[in-house]
Amino acid sequence: MTGPNLVRLAWRNLWRNTRRTLLTLVAISFGLLMAVLFTALQDRSFSDMIDLAARLHGGHVVVQHPEYLDSPTLDRSVQDAPAKLAAIRALPGVQAAVPRITGNVMVASARGSYGALFIAYDPALESPTTLSFLEGVQGDMLDSADGDGVVLGTRLAKNLGVGIGDKVVYTATDSTGEIVSGLARLRATVGTGAPSLDGALVLLPIESVRRVLGYTPGEVTRIAVFIDDSRNSPRVRDAVNATLTDGAVALTWDEVQPELNGFIAMKVGGARFMELVILILVSASIFNTLFVSVMERTREFGIMLAIGWTPRQVSGLIVLESVWLAISGIVLGAALTTPLYLYLKSHPIDVSAQFAADGAPMEIAGVGIAPVLQVGIFPESVVVIVCAIVLATLLSGLYPAWRAGRTVPVESIRLV
Amino acid sequence: MPKTLATFQNVTKTYKQGAVDVHALRGLDLEIHAGELTALVGPSGSGKTTALNMLGALDVPTTGRVTLEGTDLSTLSRKQLSALRRDRIGFVFQAYNLIPVLTAYENAESVLALQGVAPAERRQRVYALLEEMGLKGMEDRRPDQLSGGQQQRVAIARAIAANPAVVLADEPTANVDSETAEMLLDIMQRLNRERGVTFVFSTHDPRVVAHAQRVVRLVDGKVQSDERK
Repeated sequence: MTGPNLVRLAWRNLWRNTRRTLLTLVAISFGLLMAVLFTALQDRSFSDMIDLAARLHGGHVVVQHPEYLDSPTLDRSVQDAPAKLAAIRALPGVQAAVPRITGNVMVASARGSYGALFIAYDPALESPTTLSFLEGVQGDMLDSADGDGVVLGTRLAKNLGVGIGDKVVYTATDSTGEIVSGLARLRATVGTGAPSLDGALVLLPIESVRRVLGYTPGEVTRIAVFIDDSRNSPRVRDAVNATLTDGAVALTWDEVQPELNGFIAMKVGGARFMELVILILVSASIFNTLFVSVMERTREFGIMLAIGWTPRQVSGLIVLESVWLAISGIVLGAALTTPLYLYLKSHPIDVSAQFAADGAPMEIAGVGIAPVLQVGIFPESVVVIVCAIVLATLLSGLYPAWRAGRTVPVESIRLV
Repeated sequence: MPKTLATFQNVTKTYKQGAVDVHALRGLDLEIHAGELTALVGPSGSGKTTALNMLGALDVPTTGRVTLEGTDLSTLSRKQLSALRRDRIGFVFQAYNLIPVLTAYENAESVLALQGVAPAERRQRVYALLEEMGLKGMEDRRPDQLSGGQQQRVAIARAIAANPAVVLADEPTANVDSETAEMLLDIMQRLNRERGVTFVFSTHDPRVVAHAQRVVRLVDGKVQSDERK
């Protein structure tokens, strides 16, 4: 290597004013800590929300009739579900794929009748990992795809005035437009945490519903596909679509639930703005340190240029000082952030008192929100944060570096 | 006949100081010869600083020409001037002006490093030079761990390490005591005598004048007298 060891010189220059450098490093570290925790809360919260939405509705990817999204009527069904399920389950990243029939029903008891949303599923194939409602069930779970049991949302059961063992009648419009009814006996109630769902949820055994609706064997309204990471939904959707040959389509969770996607996009936008503010504050701190440092060393730069340094070498020295600041700040920031992150990861913060002052659970776009703050950051978010801080640091150093390189030796040193 | 190293040819330099024009040089004609130890003397404002700046390729004339080794400095680009200062000119400043975060060794080798001289060769040359300067054992000290005289000796080592055509010294004895000043002058005289290093001093110090082979007196931006001993 020719030329002076700029990397070493830049490192030493950084520590000429220890207090100032330490203060800057604290600012960078604090910025990193804030950005990581803020993003970790978001990543975890939105990831949980998407997973919950998938378990509440039709999975991370859903296969359905191409017009079902526009109008979810029972005549818009998907045929030959077993073959489709076999093909989908073989795809990489797919954890589960289950058949469902979903639609609107009128549920009636001796006290009255209410409109509701029904989900007919196969109890042998589903668990709370695919159907969230199953973890809040109070009573006996449905145990057969062909039984006469029904599970109602707690509020719906209360409205209907029915208890465990009581009969209810559900009425729907079948695929031919005929009104059809089925009789079921209440086996359990379910509380989801989402008030709108608790007042309108009906869980039924899939074969019984298929028979009532006059569906053919293997006919469903949806195939719900669950994957290991919701961020891979588009990739899995495309892979699923490649297996479909009869007009059925695969959609991602956000295509099926645009309102939830919109909410998350809005929150992410707000978070990005906050991160930008943090970045600007960090940048201002770095710029201040480097600029003051450059102004203090004008004479020294003049000497360096006089003895043969090129302006580019002088500017490069300042850029390297900003690189060292970034690296040191990130190392210190990581040392401060990691323990706090790990602690928060294992000790979620319960905010139920602040979150639902009236005692009612909160829901967003039909998804119940857990009243705890949990952290969990995606690796790519860490990469973005680190890159943003490095970039901010380098950009903050550009003007001071340019100034240093522009030093006019004859003006900055007193030769005689 | 001594070889001409540098020339000032009818050089003028006018600065703007607010609305006032300051004429630092008013038609300076001067030749600097290789191997000489020349002292520029004169009262404040006589143009010593400006002349030294121009010879050091740090400033340009308003009119006239300054040449070094036959090259008109005004024809060189910024990059070429940097290379010229690095390779052909050594600087010794009044306030030492070592880089504070570098050790004595690193300061002395800095110009060689800029030239891309191999580390092994740098090490050999700089250690020898520092020993010659009486700084053996102090190579790893930083400037703030050295006395003024020691710092100035490091500065001299830095200035001559790359074997420049000329060393420009700005009041090299101004900030040191008499004993140290004598020692520094002896060193520079020895370097001139034994290595043929060309020195151009700007000074008020009669001791420097006493060591010089040639004394050029400037007054009002022009040569008033030019004496060889």
